[in-house]
Amino acid sequence: MARAKEALISAFLVGGGQIYSGRFWTGISLAIIFYGSIVLMIILWTGINAAFWGLLTAWILVWLFNIYDAYKGISYEKSPCEKACPAGIVPWAYINFIATDSDQKYPFIPFFNTLGRICLAPCECHCTRKGIDAPVAIRYVRASVRTEIPDDKHKPKKEKIAVVGSGPCGLSAAYYLSHRGYKVVVYEKEEKPGGVLGILIPEFRHPQEVLDNEIEVLQSTGFELKCGVEIGKDISIDELFENYDAIFIAIGVWKPIKLGIPGEEHTLDGFDVLRRIKKGELYHLGKVGVIGGGNTAIDIARSLVREGHEQVKIYYRRNIEDMPAESENLKEAQEEGVEIIPLTALVKIEKNSVTMIKTECPNGRDGPIRLIEESEFDVRLDNIVMAIGQDPDTNFLKDHVKLGKFGHIITKNGKTSHPKIFAGGDAVLGSATVAHAVGHGTNIAKRIDLHLRCMPTFIAQLLKKTYQPEVQLLPITDRNRMSIPHRDIEERKHDFKEVELRASKEELQKEASRCLTCPLRYQP
Amino acid sequence: MSLKRIVQIIATIIQNSYIPALFSGGIYQGILKRYCTPILNCWGCPLAVTSCPMGALQHFIGLKLIPFYIAGFFGAIGIIIGRMSCGWLCPFGFLQDLLYKAKSVKMILPQWCSYIKYGVLIGVAGIIAYVTTEPWFCKLCPDGALIAGIPLVLADSSGDLKALIGWHFYMKIAILIVVLLLSLSIKRFFCRTFCPIGAIYSVFNNFSLLQMKIDKEKCIECESCQMVCPMHVPIWRSPKNIDCIRCLDCVKICPTKAINHGPR
Repeated sequence: MARAKEALISAFLVGGGQIYSGRFWTGISLAIIFYGSIVLMIILWTGINAAFWGLLTAWILVWLFNIYDAYKGISYEKSPCEKACPAGIVPWAYINFIATDSDQKYPFIPFFNTLGRICLAPCECHCTRKGIDAPVAIRYVRASVRTEIPDDKHKPKKEKIAVVGSGPCGLSAAYYLSHRGYKVVVYEKEEKPGGVLGILIPEFRHPQEVLDNEIEVLQSTGFELKCGVEIGKDISIDELFENYDAIFIAIGVWKPIKLGIPGEEHTLDGFDVLRRIKKGELYHLGKVGVIGGGNTAIDIARSLVREGHEQVKIYYRRNIEDMPAESENLKEAQEEGVEIIPLTALVKIEKNSVTMIKTECPNGRDGPIRLIEESEFDVRLDNIVMAIGQDPDTNFLKDHVKLGKFGHIITKNGKTSHPKIFAGGDAVLGSATVAHAVGHGTNIAKRIDLHLRCMPTFIAQLLKKTYQPEVQLLPITDRNRMSIPHRDIEERKHDFKEVELRASKEELQKEASRCLTCPLRYQP
Repeated sequence: MSLKRIVQIIATIIQNSYIPALFSGGIYQGILKRYCTPILNCWGCPLAVTSCPMGALQHFIGLKLIPFYIAGFFGAIGIIIGRMSCGWLCPFGFLQDLLYKAKSVKMILPQWCSYIKYGVLIGVAGIIAYVTTEPWFCKLCPDGALIAGIPLVLADSSGDLKALIGWHFYMKIAILIVVLLLSLSIKRFFCRTFCPIGAIYSVFNNFSLLQMKIDKEKCIECESCQMVCPMHVPIWRSPKNIDCIRCLDCVKICPTKAINHGPR
């Protein structure tokens, strides 16, 4: 309880808590409104009448507001970057800490440094600085920020919670709940934790030691991690029902979507290729084509380049601008020699040849695709890797919860149709980003906490402390956006070490000082 | 200090500049009181030199006359500048602006609250004033309580006014307390929710001569205009919003200079 003291002072002396915490004018205004009106009414007292009760209500309202305000502190309006972030990060705060060389640390958020490396950075898309020149490099700076290590653990509670899946969503939820004092056990099907981060995302974008570091910090709250245990095979779901008070399903999406074209059985599954490359199983696929336009497709192509493939082509059915992949990732892939062929779709696959067809996509990513008739052409490829998306594999749940058309779990505020089961992450949202997974996991963990404590959401909202960074307003500089340092193309093409280099503290500070600090600058 | 603040301060002083009242008591009753000021400034204030249009409107309604004078007055101002006088001249709006500057818990008002003021205009200042022939909005008005009610009663030496204090006065003070309190955490709470003068002007916002213009090409939807707006209007989405008071703060801060103002 950080500001309980101020609230207590305010309860006895209206405006006192505000002045105590350094908000002089707020305290004075409240005191004038409260004591001023009381003194006025004492001077002009003519006895109790019907409206006196209204007056009394107004005074009680002032008193309650004053305590509430002392407890909550200043609230800033949300900046565009903050609004855009699915993981609930407040970018302008940590940017300001770097720019002012402050000693403050940003409060802990799971996978914070991971999100500095692999994130679509919607914050940068909405950055106000974009209107002046270019957005602040919010994502890149984040990779070098150290967050506060959580230590204020709540006292242990007796409820037990099972988390199925140790991806970013599952681990974020496990962290939040065990920090809250619950006994949490995480079940992971694979040999090592991390989900997509551990198995799929290649080392050159997200090094293993970053992940190990993140998981180590998360595990310091004391949840148990059981790897190599698959629900429905090694342990039945009924067993979970018996042993736990709540079950959080965050299994992600792992079942590849099938196109349903002739000869599809000759293709390779993209996840499988990535998994084997990451395990270190070197193998050669000859002339290879990758089908798809997401980050997975580009990761596969870049990994294959590093495995020594001369010719790697990505075939995508829409325009290059419509690709859902990170633009940075796309650009780096093209630099490394990956060829991207847009507006091309698969028709059929035979032993020695692959037939493609040209398409038209006039209305962008959400518009329909038209096939151009009689534009089929044959390509000679040794192997085709499919990276067109995945569905969740929720077969083991189908007797217990309501599932959507493609196997997605249907939830309402995280709750499924079964009272004990909660679900989150990609298995609910469909293929999303790590940032979405972290945000969703944390939010649903909060819901589980409220559900187990039988507390209504609005009370939790009222009691929620606002994040109050000590920030300074800096003058606007006309410095241009930094160019993010990368390793030399010829060098990085041959190994799996991280492509991005970390800039020095001074450079980061210069970049951070470009931030406009919108909530402070744009106050009425 | 911005130009807007200077104008607000000067307007507040000019509208309340009857200095003799400080020494002799009583209110100004000279020739200027025949004219209305374009915003909410109680004519009962000892210092006020002009009259409040809302008071005049209810006066005529109470007399069962059609208020041609006030209608023409509102129409002439509204058709030219829309709600601009709220942003630049209104002393009570100025006070709320200052209160919101205090660092406290801030809340966001739901959109539908903007329509309450039409109910106040038609219900309280219209129908109730017509039926009871008394200016009922003035009896509830927090600005009246603050600048007229309290100073008049406190300065009253004869005791006549003090004898009149009853449940009306208690209620007015209660409303004033709540309005001031909420202005601390909600941008211009009274203007957005209850002000009937704002309600009249806001109708003209749609077709007034002075209009806000958004260059959709330049707009990057950063919403800093809404953050800086004293009325919390999403101007980039709706330049003709009923709550826009044309204070032109957004024009000044827009990072891409996408917001402009000018004749339609």
